[in-house]
Amino acid sequence: MRNLTIAWRSILRHARRTVITVSALVVGLTGMVVFQGFLSQMMQGFRDGTILSGVGHLQIAARSQYFVDGEFNPFAYGLKDSAHLAASLGKEPDVTAVFPSTGFVAVAGLGDQSATLLVKAYPPDRMYFAPRSGIIIPPSDRFNLGTLVAGAPVKPQDSNRLVIGETASRVLGAKVGDVVTLMAILPGGNLEGRDFTISGIFSSPGRDKSFAYTDYRTAADFIREHAPPVLMVIARSIGAVPAIADSLPRNVSFRTWKDLAQLYMQVSTILGSFLGVIRAIILLVTLFILANSMNRTVLERMREWGTLRALGTKKKDILYVILWEGCLQGLLGAAAGIALGFLVSAIIDAAGGLTYHNGAQAYAIMIRPGLDSVWLNLIPAVLTAGLAALLPGLRAVRLTPSQCLREA
Amino acid sequence: MDLIRIRNAEKHYQLEKAEMPALTGINLVVGSGERVCLMGPSGSGKSTLLNIIGCVDTLSAGTVEIAGRETGSLKDAQLSEFRNRTMGFVFQTFNLIPVLSVFENVEYPLLLQRIPREERAARVEELLERVGLKDFRRRSPERLSGGQRQRVAIARALVSRPRLVIADEPTAALDHETGRTIMELMVEMNRSAGSTLIFATHDPAVALYAGRLVTMSDGRILEDREVA
Repeated sequence: MRNLTIAWRSILRHARRTVITVSALVVGLTGMVVFQGFLSQMMQGFRDGTILSGVGHLQIAARSQYFVDGEFNPFAYGLKDSAHLAASLGKEPDVTAVFPSTGFVAVAGLGDQSATLLVKAYPPDRMYFAPRSGIIIPPSDRFNLGTLVAGAPVKPQDSNRLVIGETASRVLGAKVGDVVTLMAILPGGNLEGRDFTISGIFSSPGRDKSFAYTDYRTAADFIREHAPPVLMVIARSIGAVPAIADSLPRNVSFRTWKDLAQLYMQVSTILGSFLGVIRAIILLVTLFILANSMNRTVLERMREWGTLRALGTKKKDILYVILWEGCLQGLLGAAAGIALGFLVSAIIDAAGGLTYHNGAQAYAIMIRPGLDSVWLNLIPAVLTAGLAALLPGLRAVRLTPSQCLREA
Repeated sequence: MDLIRIRNAEKHYQLEKAEMPALTGINLVVGSGERVCLMGPSGSGKSTLLNIIGCVDTLSAGTVEIAGRETGSLKDAQLSEFRNRTMGFVFQTFNLIPVLSVFENVEYPLLLQRIPREERAARVEELLERVGLKDFRRRSPERLSGGQRQRVAIARALVSRPRLVIADEPTAALDHETGRTIMELMVEMNRSAGSTLIFATHDPAVALYAGRLVTMSDGRILEDREVA
């Protein structure tokens, strides 16, 4: 306790030096917290966007093989009792929506033009297409499949309607109201054809070349599917997913969003590593500055160390005083930097966050650093500061008391 | 009874490649309750000898026995504890801990001995009363005069009731009058505590406070005599 007291008072006694020493840490960690808050919100948006783009929080299938090749061969994976399972899951408080999904590959023809499409099918009330302009807040109980650039989405009372991608419509020369013929190969090798009316055209980078959407009933009827190959589950929150998964019957197979959103997981890992590198650079700079400062402090206070030793203080206690001083400076700097980071984030949020535009659409990203910003920055900063004090401390205790007194 | 026994003590300092002798052939015996003054010009070895006696430095050759223990055989942590329980130090430049108050400075050696709070407080109060600084107990040493600081240092040296008090040029940083008062205080407190006082000075007026005068030059003892 007396070591901590001496360390704390010494820091206060040299207040100006302490402020200068920890300023690098304060500035670095302020930026770090704001950046972390920004990335965290961005990644959360990316995650939720990925989940609601058609992945879902959870996908339930009859067999795990469905998740390997089911998208291209849904006929082989009918999920029996899906209606019963959906009804039962729908009662779970953490489940927002449960609905069937299927899909098939088809050749679309219009006049002398043709294109290959991957047609995905959901109930109409679970498909959302964003308007072309305005601030977008996508609903959280359905899939957000892109921006509607013409026409209208498929409505619940519609049948044989299709929302087609912008690029595919250009290839086909199709516009809203046109009728395209879809040809699909069904089980047994039969080629089946049906006319679909284009109700809308959507835009979505990477998808609008080959994707099309129709309602689940029409798709199931077209491909003669008696049971959906997969049930999509949208949960109230990410945290609820494990509990929902645990509540599933043992005779079904499932994948969570983490298994399915591989791009998100990769980007998240890369950004996490990137943040780690930036944090390491900040801490390294702090290490050098603090080590230099502590070295000077230790040298200037040789008389103090010599006196304390002469009075009977053990070497380890002198070392503890010096280590405490380092750690306390790290704690002060980190606490100030983190607090300032939260303050700056709050100010940016109060001003409406950071807005980015995609054509006429506007998205706002808030900066909300989480509690993990506290310990992720505080603990390494304190440890680094302690490390910075270690060498000067060892140097001080290596000398005899008389050497300390002589060097003063 | 002998408190200090030094036999054939040698101390050399390594200065780059040259070896500088600081003490040569020192033999000294000091009894309990004695008041010994080490006198001599700068560089004569007074401070080095005090450092050796105070166990804050080690010998190159020879032995030192304090209170029946050969200090050369003690490990660093044992030496720290031995210093804390056996000795009190008064330095030329006072050497108070700047971040501790007057009370805390005097209390510090007792903290190391883990003496209970009430007893610590009583002993510190008593010492501060005796050195005339009771009203300054909360003050920072930096807000005291040189004489007051040295009084605090004397209180700190005596608070653990050591058998040996070592003072290296205790009046050198003080004016003549303050120096005289400090020496009188130190001698009086030392006498009442019954401890041994060994101090170094190059001031003949200060040396008069000793009962025994050891004159040094070039790291050797030139003369060792009783004084009236």
